[in-house]
Amino acid sequence: MPEPIVEAVDVAKVYQLGKTQVHALRHVDLVVERGEFLSIAGPSGSGKTTLLNLIGGVDVPSSGTVRVDGEDTSKLTERALTRLRLDHIGFIFQTFNLVAVLTVFQNVEFPLLLQGRMSSDDRRRRVNALLEAVGLADHARHRPSELSGGQRQRVAVARALVANPPLVLADEPTANLDSVTGGHIIDLMREMNRRDGTTFIFSTHDPKVMSHASAIVRLEDGRVVGRETAQGAEAR
Amino acid sequence: MIATDLFIAARNLARHTRRNLLLASAIGGVTAMLVLLGGLTTGMREAMLHSATTLMTGHVNLAGFFKITSGTAAPIVAGWEKPWDAVKDRIPELDYMAPRGRGWAKAVADGGSMDLVLAGVELSREPGFHKVIQVVDGSLEELGKPGTILLFQDQAKRLGVKPGDTLTLSAPTTRGASNTADVRVAAVARNIGLLSAFNAFIPADTLRQLYQLKAGTTGAVQIYLKDPADSAKVAARLRAALRDAGWRVMDPDPQPYWQKLMFKVNAEDWTGQKLDVTTWEDEMSFLSWIVTAVTWLGNVLVTVLMVIVAVGIVNTLAIAIRERTREIGTLRAIGMQRTQVLRLTLLEAFLLGLGGAVAGALLGAAVGAGLNGAGIELPETMQYFLLQRNLHLAIHPGQVAVYVAFVTALTTVAASWPSAYAARMRPVTAMHHVG
Repeated sequence: MPEPIVEAVDVAKVYQLGKTQVHALRHVDLVVERGEFLSIAGPSGSGKTTLLNLIGGVDVPSSGTVRVDGEDTSKLTERALTRLRLDHIGFIFQTFNLVAVLTVFQNVEFPLLLQGRMSSDDRRRRVNALLEAVGLADHARHRPSELSGGQRQRVAVARALVANPPLVLADEPTANLDSVTGGHIIDLMREMNRRDGTTFIFSTHDPKVMSHASAIVRLEDGRVVGRETAQGAEAR
Repeated sequence: MIATDLFIAARNLARHTRRNLLLASAIGGVTAMLVLLGGLTTGMREAMLHSATTLMTGHVNLAGFFKITSGTAAPIVAGWEKPWDAVKDRIPELDYMAPRGRGWAKAVADGGSMDLVLAGVELSREPGFHKVIQVVDGSLEELGKPGTILLFQDQAKRLGVKPGDTLTLSAPTTRGASNTADVRVAAVARNIGLLSAFNAFIPADTLRQLYQLKAGTTGAVQIYLKDPADSAKVAARLRAALRDAGWRVMDPDPQPYWQKLMFKVNAEDWTGQKLDVTTWEDEMSFLSWIVTAVTWLGNVLVTVLMVIVAVGIVNTLAIAIRERTREIGTLRAIGMQRTQVLRLTLLEAFLLGLGGAVAGALLGAAVGAGLNGAGIELPETMQYFLLQRNLHLAIHPGQVAVYVAFVTALTTVAASWPSAYAARMRPVTAMHHVG
């Protein structure tokens, strides 16, 4: 049986705000199998973003362990953790977070440049193929400011997938989009999940978005309060 | 990756045009000032080299002192051809040489009197003399005749003489007695700064007669090289060669001959001939303080400006990095290493510094060329100290390139603190930054 892509064991995250301790996550256990299209659901402040940050290695847990693709993130050096993010994880942000001064092509190409493994021709082919897949082949020379919100998020999806990571994390990827555009983005992610077997974990509190997930993990006050299949959620 | 880094850095600079233009202008202003101050000091140095090596010294001098008793020294080389023959084949850098008599005399005329440092010249052996001396009255050719003298404008004015007039020179001979000679003013030349205040020229034979010296005696064999930069190397070679040939040679001492005569040689316990090989820099060391003072003044001014600019750079980059916290956080999240963030922000500072410095250097060079072209005549007091009649800035491409490299490097170094701050940023903090 293949190793899970994500395994969180008794994870807690505590933030110190002045003299107050904020328990963002408490005793979280989570296993995500490869190829899942998992939604993390819960109200604002439930700990969705914190959990994604810990899985993505942009933050480390206060206690417990998070293993991503077999690597315990809390035991990695800063350099190795950055390399893990580059090679194993793609990120899609709520506010797109594209580099304003780069074109669409350059934004998507950026992770490949950081990796430094592909030739210029191979990079061009890979980026063009992804832009074709997300429907932005004609916008390669545009800057983010020249695109609509939906188009920007498509660029973000292409950037997250360009290095062919086994895991993509999306923090409320549709929150800044209208429902139709948001639906298209989720469809696009789902298509990539089915086509390439890439694992997607995305946070949302929108039931329509959750309905696309193969499984839903529910968070409340920093605790996992349930895990169900999408069909189960719909039935409820 | 470097190309992308360069592109991002350039685009980030272009995104905040007004702020970065202001900073680049400050960097450019400092560079322009460096270029102009450097041009001024180099111009002074070149003017000093150019005029001094005609009026007072060769690039290298085979000179010396002769002491009849241990307390009476004269700045002469008796039978100068012998030591010259011993070394002349060892100077492949030689352009030409000229024996030059050295002396001091009181000049007395109807209109006044003054002390003069006398140089005994053989015009036929001194091609450089015609290039530097600008005769304003009389004829330089007349100086080839015995019993003549060339004065500078201020000297002629002070003595109240003009070409054709006679004045009397009175000088102490090497044997301690005084001797006089009447000389006719052959020509009056344009002043050449401080050096022309006390130097005057008479034919070499006339100087020997005044001092009652034998033919074959001179003050120094002034050696002119194809490249004056070889002076120290040639001087060292000549000292060694003369010692090998059995001559007594004085140790190197960066003082002009007259300072050695007044303060050193007379106090030493020896008699006879000693040779002294000097460079033009040794002979002009009493004036080098002027160049040093101007250089230091310029350095202080530029340092203050550089500190202000460096603070501006730190401040501007700190603001720029704060504004881009979210972007940097995103780049870190998607896999950019800290060192790469550091490189990116330093690259921005480098580009800003390079752009400002190149623009400033071009501006400085253009202003310098304009000032040179305008032929601005310096006030008389400044002529004395700047050793030039017209303002001349010597701006050389190599020197300008050094200034550009220095300012660019300084800008990059100044950016290291905000860059390090950016590189230390945690991706999660950066991504959730609002501002």
